Amino acid sequence: MDKPAARFAPGRRKGLSKVNYNRYGYYFVAPFIIVFLVFQLYPIIFTFRTSVSDAIGWNKINDSMVIGFENFKMYFDPGSPLFYDFWNSFGNTLLIWIANFVPQILMALVLASWFTDTRMRLKFRGGFKMLIFMPNIITAATIGVLFYSIFNYPIAPANSFLQQVGILHAPFEFFRSTTASRSIISFVQWWMWYGNTMIIMIAGIMGISPELYEAGLVDGCSSRQTFYRITLPLIKPILLFNLVTSMIGGLQMFDIPHLLTEGNPNKTTNTIARFIYQQAFTGSRNFNYASAASVILFIFIVMASLMLFWVMRERDPAVRDLRRAGK
Amino acid sequence: MRKLAALILALALMLSAASLAVAETPKTKLVVWSFTDELRGMIEEYYVPAHPEVEVVYTLYPTDGSEYRNKLDTVIATDPTGDEAPDIFALEAAFVKYYVNSDTTAPLSDLGFVDEDFANSIPAMVQIGTDSRNGQQKASAWQSTPGAMFYRASLAEEYLGVTSPEEFQEKVADWDTFMETAEELNEASEGKVKMFNSIGDIWNAYQYNREAGWVVDGKLNIDPVLYDYLDLTRQAEEDGLYNLGTAWNETWFLGMKSDTTMTYLLPTWGLHYVLKPNSGNYDAETDGMVEGAEGTYGDWRMVDGPVGYSWGGTWLGANAYKLAEADDAKKAVVKEFIRFFTLDEDFLYTYAKDSGDFVSNNNVVNRIIAEGGTPNPFLGGQDHYAAFATAANLADGTIMTEYDDAINTLWSDNVTTPYIKGEKDLDTAIADFKAAVAAAFANIVVE
Repeated sequence: MDKPAARFAPGRRKGLSKVNYNRYGYYFVAPFIIVFLVFQLYPIIFTFRTSVSDAIGWNKINDSMVIGFENFKMYFDPGSPLFYDFWNSFGNTLLIWIANFVPQILMALVLASWFTDTRMRLKFRGGFKMLIFMPNIITAATIGVLFYSIFNYPIAPANSFLQQVGILHAPFEFFRSTTASRSIISFVQWWMWYGNTMIIMIAGIMGISPELYEAGLVDGCSSRQTFYRITLPLIKPILLFNLVTSMIGGLQMFDIPHLLTEGNPNKTTNTIARFIYQQAFTGSRNFNYASAASVILFIFIVMASLMLFWVMRERDPAVRDLRRAGK
Repeated sequence: MRKLAALILALALMLSAASLAVAETPKTKLVVWSFTDELRGMIEEYYVPAHPEVEVVYTLYPTDGSEYRNKLDTVIATDPTGDEAPDIFALEAAFVKYYVNSDTTAPLSDLGFVDEDFANSIPAMVQIGTDSRNGQQKASAWQSTPGAMFYRASLAEEYLGVTSPEEFQEKVADWDTFMETAEELNEASEGKVKMFNSIGDIWNAYQYNREAGWVVDGKLNIDPVLYDYLDLTRQAEEDGLYNLGTAWNETWFLGMKSDTTMTYLLPTWGLHYVLKPNSGNYDAETDGMVEGAEGTYGDWRMVDGPVGYSWGGTWLGANAYKLAEADDAKKAVVKEFIRFFTLDEDFLYTYAKDSGDFVSNNNVVNRIIAEGGTPNPFLGGQDHYAAFATAANLADGTIMTEYDDAINTLWSDNVTTPYIKGEKDLDTAIADFKAAVAAAFANIVVE
């Protein structure tokens, strides 16, 4: 009697080997590849090309000439009109990103470990997760308008509330204070994204083999020990993923500062993406300078990501093996 | 027999087809681009019935996020003579100068217009539609958007003892008296009523005091009068003479329905679409007052204010590239379109009567005033058409440049706001402003 497995094994029967199913794979990835080529790769190449050209204004975007690295000099020569604005917005972006990212990742870690802790038995987990994730679903435009209204001056909910409870005696102009404006933007970014980070963390923790936790339980680990000795080392790749994606997103921060403060007061909340936008789509439409700034940002992000990968690389061979085995 | 029948049938078919073809002369296609529905409605209601031989293809892109300008700039950079490209495009005040001061728009003289055609047009609208580089007129407007000053009659009587618009105008005849009145009001009302609501309100009018616009011969020009503007606004800030509002925020709208703000500087559209709907007791359905409700309906009056100014408007321009390739018949259609909407006095009269819009032709405006005008219950029966007519001819449109929109924002962000709030001294503020202009405009010389 033939074994069924042997009979249907691929390639066993004559002629079957000629049918190649590989091409279906290409069909499936084709839409992505086409969209990627047209809407991502081409613009990226075009940006690189524009960054070394003299394309200022719409008229010249199509018949611009390559002039070399002149445009990049704008950002490295302290005497140029763009030098201060560019590095200032660079600094703002980093500051606002760090101010929202550190609390974001800490909060997400704490929540993720609570939600996955078998000993805590939290109720309404699904409901909490949904509530925490909710701000991420609302569009940035809506949130921008919301917070603008809340912190407006002189008559707005935040001012009325603070005056009623006696913290303020006169209305405070939040969007004229550098600290307040940056804090509000950082807070909004944090509030929008910690749910998202938390969900990814939860997925990471759920991926850790339960045997390890069971072994820990048997050996009498405390919750704290479980977290620091088992969870944290094993979700390092997820942490790295979060760190890198958040950094890329954070350095490209545009919508909230644009909608909420437009870079005010005195350019202290201007971000790098807003700087690029202003160069390209307002004023005399300096596409070349904007592209050069984009290229600098691109190089910075690539280098910073590589550095993160290097810093977060696994040094302990035992953990490395464990992680491979877990996969 | 059957063959004969078939032949007759075939002949009949051919004849009917031929007669159809004769009846339908080919229509001239006219591509029109705009950024609102307003022009579409006007085309359908007034233009198409009078011009059955023209097929208007109307394309609309909203101005939000400058989509309209991006589309227009792209089509002009890539395919300015293509089928999709506009023959005629509408231009808004924020960017009309950008196109008029470029080779994109055709001189109206190329279409056969002469200067006399615009003799009765409101001067500011003609000036704004003129290429500042060579003085050629390139765009024409059907609307005029003069600004005026609106004030609260009851508050003026209570605190300033003013009982008529003429008296009030004396109180705000120029900016110095305006500020004196502001101080007087602040004292008399013990700070309850402020002269104006936001700094931006003053800017819109005050900028028309300048001798020249932001850019003169390719160089950034800070008109000396702007330093007076900074003194004025700083005094207003220090003495608490305004409501600390910002245009379009809660405080700004609150001033329209409560007894906190004496004056608003608003143009024609501001009266109907901003002030009236936000007066608190306005009923949109009946276009009248809600009895018994709290509000300011009927308590507003109108005066010229310290300076004649203009705020907004829509112009029509012709695509120069497409026009260069057009034959005479097509040129005639383009000319007729612009003439019909912006110079045809019968059309403008009908349109003004139907819509209440303030049109750009002095003959039509005078005719409406002569017929008894438009007594407005919102203004306590005052005729807004007559009041706007004076204001309209006061404004000087030559100070507008294609850079205004962007530079006004840079001025307010870098100079006015930080300076009057004491965050920066004047020299730093001006230096920051110059740096910001240089950063935004590679093509403006900043000294």
